[in-house]
Amino acid sequence: MDNNGLIRRIIRAKETYLLLLPGVVWFVIFAYIPMYGLSLAFKTYKASLGIFGSPWVGFENFTYVFRDPAFMESVWRTLWINLGRMVFEFPVPIVLALLLNELRLQLFKRSVQTILTFPHFLSWIVVASVLINFLDMQGMVNGIIRLLGGDPVNFLGNTSLFVPMLYITDIWKSAGWTMIIYLAAISNIDTEQYESAKLDGASRLQTMWYITLPSILNTIVVLLILQAGLLMTAGFDQIFNLSNAATAKAGEILDMYIYRVTFQSAADFSYSSAVSLFRSIINFVLLLLADRICKMLGADGLFPPIRRKQRRAAWAKGM
Amino acid sequence: MHDRVEPLDIILAVILGVFALLILIPFFNVLTVSFVTQQVYLKSSILLFPTEVTLENYKMMFADGRIWTGYRTTALLLAVGVPLNLFLTTSMAYGLSRPDYPFKRFFIFFVVVTMLFNGGIVPMYLLMKQLHLTNTLWSIVLVYGINAFYLIIMMNYFQNLPLAPSESAKLDGAGEWTILYRIILPLSMPIMATMTLFYAVDRWNEWFNAMIFIRKSNLVVLQLAIRSIVIDSQISQQLNASNVQAQQFTEGMKMASVIVSMLPIMCVFPLLQRHFVKGMLVGAIKA
Repeated sequence: MDNNGLIRRIIRAKETYLLLLPGVVWFVIFAYIPMYGLSLAFKTYKASLGIFGSPWVGFENFTYVFRDPAFMESVWRTLWINLGRMVFEFPVPIVLALLLNELRLQLFKRSVQTILTFPHFLSWIVVASVLINFLDMQGMVNGIIRLLGGDPVNFLGNTSLFVPMLYITDIWKSAGWTMIIYLAAISNIDTEQYESAKLDGASRLQTMWYITLPSILNTIVVLLILQAGLLMTAGFDQIFNLSNAATAKAGEILDMYIYRVTFQSAADFSYSSAVSLFRSIINFVLLLLADRICKMLGADGLFPPIRRKQRRAAWAKGM
Repeated sequence: MHDRVEPLDIILAVILGVFALLILIPFFNVLTVSFVTQQVYLKSSILLFPTEVTLENYKMMFADGRIWTGYRTTALLLAVGVPLNLFLTTSMAYGLSRPDYPFKRFFIFFVVVTMLFNGGIVPMYLLMKQLHLTNTLWSIVLVYGINAFYLIIMMNYFQNLPLAPSESAKLDGAGEWTILYRIILPLSMPIMATMTLFYAVDRWNEWFNAMIFIRKSNLVVLQLAIRSIVIDSQISQQLNASNVQAQQFTEGMKMASVIVSMLPIMCVFPLLQRHFVKGMLVGAIKA
């Protein structure tokens, strides 16, 4: 297409650009400028000169970052905790969705679904408050333990119990919501498959295993990839509100480390930016890596479904 | 055809029922504790129902005043923030959903990049400082303008609307903004309701940005008010257990503030419940 045609098409679409303008301005100021702000990782921040004016120093900040043993510890701790999440938390909503989908008592089914999704809409501050009340030394769980003659357990003030408690409380808050995503995927399955399986005499457990599970495999893979892309991030809200002086060390994931060095001690913004940039890059690489691995294993992955849809749309237009 | 209830259904019902109870009981316990005195709370090991109901905790909580400040700030945040969210998200989603214009793919890419990569809190804080927005409500209003996931969901919804009405309006000489407000929005009430609820809940639960950007005690958001009543006092309690002065709040008062902050969510929850499955379905098609 020649330049004139393009310009004419741009002029014709000027009202569309006007629609995009407010959103684009917002994204530039509050998403892209902060992204550029990570360039502070290679600068030394001077408040008077701002993000743009501060002088460049190369990789100096990173040498300091990697010299701090607390930094590397927090990196490994983050990876370790989040890998544990993938092993212990990730399957729970899948199992819940499969079980709930099999349940025939409709009213009961709907009530369970309602109850399970509710905590998702509360902040971690409220959830932590509810669970601290339930689990602390005076709480109901310890009351039951005492009644049964056991010794009360300090669930949330105990370093060795802290990480398992993270998994349990996160399941408590979010498994129900993630379950909804899988239920939505299940509701898209063609019912004919179930009819013919029934005619062949398959039991309900068999149809669950051989029809339902394979049909939602792609959804599972997509959520797994997204989870992999958060390996360096997930969990700040939860840990910030559930940890206390006794468990602070066990819960110092990378984001807690960034928060501590930025907002609690003498702030060095260049240093924090270097850590943040490191975190973002690792996340991004892990996301692409997980996507690539899934494609190698024959699954659809994150991006192809979109592209395929567009190709189909383009093809339909060509007809 | 009516399915028979088999033993399998009983097993499933028991498993799922236990899970549901494990979620319900802690909430129920919070409610009970909020209605009993500290003495009763400390004496009884398992509190299922309050033996004698007292409203003392609620009186103490409102007398403390932090909850009022929190409510006021969060209400203001919703009143200013949610309309802004809806304006930014709707106009951009509609713009992106228009068929075929130059650089359309670039703009979609421009949005998707922000889903994969973000600067994080440090540059955001410095930006807010440079814009002189720290310690103002505007910092938390503006920091959360568009949620890229919601934007994509909305764009997909607009893309699936019939083109004919807007095409004929265009022939009548209507501009894109007029079409959006006169024709598209009336057709989009379900998705608008969903978006309003989603954004309102997100704003209601706002605390992290507020904690970083706002250090003024008369601009504390509700969630941070709860945090200062429940969690901070918990921490100071653990740090100096012998110090009686640190234990200034009864457990009942803490739980009363939790109840008060959950109440609005509970009220809109049936609506959320009805809308979010639809919203998720549209989102799932994209994913």
